[in-house]
Amino acid sequence: MMPSHPRRHRSRYRAAALLALLLIGPTACGDGEPAVTGTVESVTVSITGGTVSPAPGRIEVSRGQTVRITTTSDVADMVHVHGYDKSVTLQAGVAGTVEFVADRDGLYEVETHGQDLQLFQLVVR
Amino acid sequence: MWLAHGVGGRQDLPIPFGLALAGALVALVVSFVALGALWREPRLGADTSPPRPLPEPVQRVVTARAWSWLWRLVGLVVAAYLGLALAGPDTVDNPTAGVLYVLFWVGLLPLSLLFGPVWRALNPLRTLHLLACLALRRDPTRGLRDLPSGLGYWPAAAGLFAFVWLELVAPHRVSLPVIGGWLAGYAVATLAGAVVYGSRWFDRGDAFEVYSDVVGRLAPLARQPDGTLVRRHPLDGIAGLRPAPGLVAFVVVLLGSTMYDSVSNAPFWVRVLQSGAVPAPLVGTVGLALVIGLVLAAYLVATALAARPAGRSGREFAGELAHSVVPIAVGYLVAHYFTLFVLEGQRTLALLSDPLGTGADWLGTGSWQVRALGTSPAGTAMLQVTVIVIGHVFGTVLAHDRALRLLDRRSAVVGQLPLLVLMVLYTTVGLLLLFAA
Repeated sequence: MMPSHPRRHRSRYRAAALLALLLIGPTACGDGEPAVTGTVESVTVSITGGTVSPAPGRIEVSRGQTVRITTTSDVADMVHVHGYDKSVTLQAGVAGTVEFVADRDGLYEVETHGQDLQLFQLVVR
Repeated sequence: MWLAHGVGGRQDLPIPFGLALAGALVALVVSFVALGALWREPRLGADTSPPRPLPEPVQRVVTARAWSWLWRLVGLVVAAYLGLALAGPDTVDNPTAGVLYVLFWVGLLPLSLLFGPVWRALNPLRTLHLLACLALRRDPTRGLRDLPSGLGYWPAAAGLFAFVWLELVAPHRVSLPVIGGWLAGYAVATLAGAVVYGSRWFDRGDAFEVYSDVVGRLAPLARQPDGTLVRRHPLDGIAGLRPAPGLVAFVVVLLGSTMYDSVSNAPFWVRVLQSGAVPAPLVGTVGLALVIGLVLAAYLVATALAARPAGRSGREFAGELAHSVVPIAVGYLVAHYFTLFVLEGQRTLALLSDPLGTGADWLGTGSWQVRALGTSPAGTAMLQVTVIVIGHVFGTVLAHDRALRLLDRRSAVVGQLPLLVLMVLYTTVGLLLLFAA
């Protein structure tokens, strides 16, 4: 049989390191207080014939900023901000606005549910 | 493109991306050198260490008939509850999509990593088949025909591809008709397989049971063939995954689809998908197949090169080393879905309290607010790098140990070089996709 099990020790260290990281890592940089308050980031998007303008990309805001998204679509649809779970129903050709305070870090997708289009990705830092 | 997957991002790494990547690659090279110098004989597998059974009272509970039936019942009740949600209104507040893609699909990973092949115990389709067989006084293991041995994991690989296609490509994949239609098709296909081939069909043909089984081999708990519950080293468990037809396809679809998920999250790919020149589902399907194909090609080339110096067949090596891809895939799955599971999981549990959209609060979770629960961007980014590196180091260890069983030590070490290159490639691409996309 085998003399000793060095790997068992090694993997135990590894497991301990992972556990420590799991426990310490997330607390090392928790959600603090809002960094910026009072400013408004306005985003205007239009959808024509299934094409999003401006083309989908990433929009960065600081935590605590108010985000105002105004969308116009040539067909009725619904805009949804994932993570923040904000939505607005759009009537064809009528601008709809959704507004909220971006108070949580992360990357959130903003999309329409009817035409299944991504409008942009909101990065909150 | 229906949920925000990653809360972390390149900009959130507490150290520069280049440093994280360099650290990951150093970890791989160091483990490769250390393995070559110190790990001189095969050590992994059920035959190298005696099983350590759990205490007798625990054994009595987990081998009782009531124990199996308890979990079957849990599976049936949860499935029935999901069926209720499928009958609810098709709005963003319907929990069905969250239940399928987050609680079930992502949740199956930690459950299997802790307890082994849990879906085998819970699978409502397996229970339905068992109940039907009991009612008809038939042996559930006997079907109309014997399961052909050449079939292997191919049906499960196809089922897995069908599921990741639904999750990542299918148009309107969060809508109830699409989810309901897919689940109905899956249920019919799986039950038909069970009728023809008996309950063994679930072992090899059901994508979710195979997934739970393959990943569950990394669990610290396992059942012996006689039903005894034993503790074991995770690497011993996964080393017991033997080559079979379709196994390489299954693990490569698992790894490749997670990589495609990262690609599909990148703004450049969203612009390609939504450009309108070609229908988005077609572009998505091609993209998914392409990423899986590239992962497969890299794997086949590396294993063929590893086999060549010893004059062995590349096909044989591809099958023998498939188990080493599993911890890599698990690393990506954890890195990729950790925040999704924590954040969307909470949201789904809240929505589940009102499956019919009537304002009810059946589970008392309806008023839950989604809390960060430790998913800070920097912490998440560190976790992502760590699990990816651990996955690859585990993969390197598994591949080295298997090579020692197949070859003499010198050929095994030389043969590891192409595999090291493969691991470096997978790590680099994986980290780039997660943090630079």
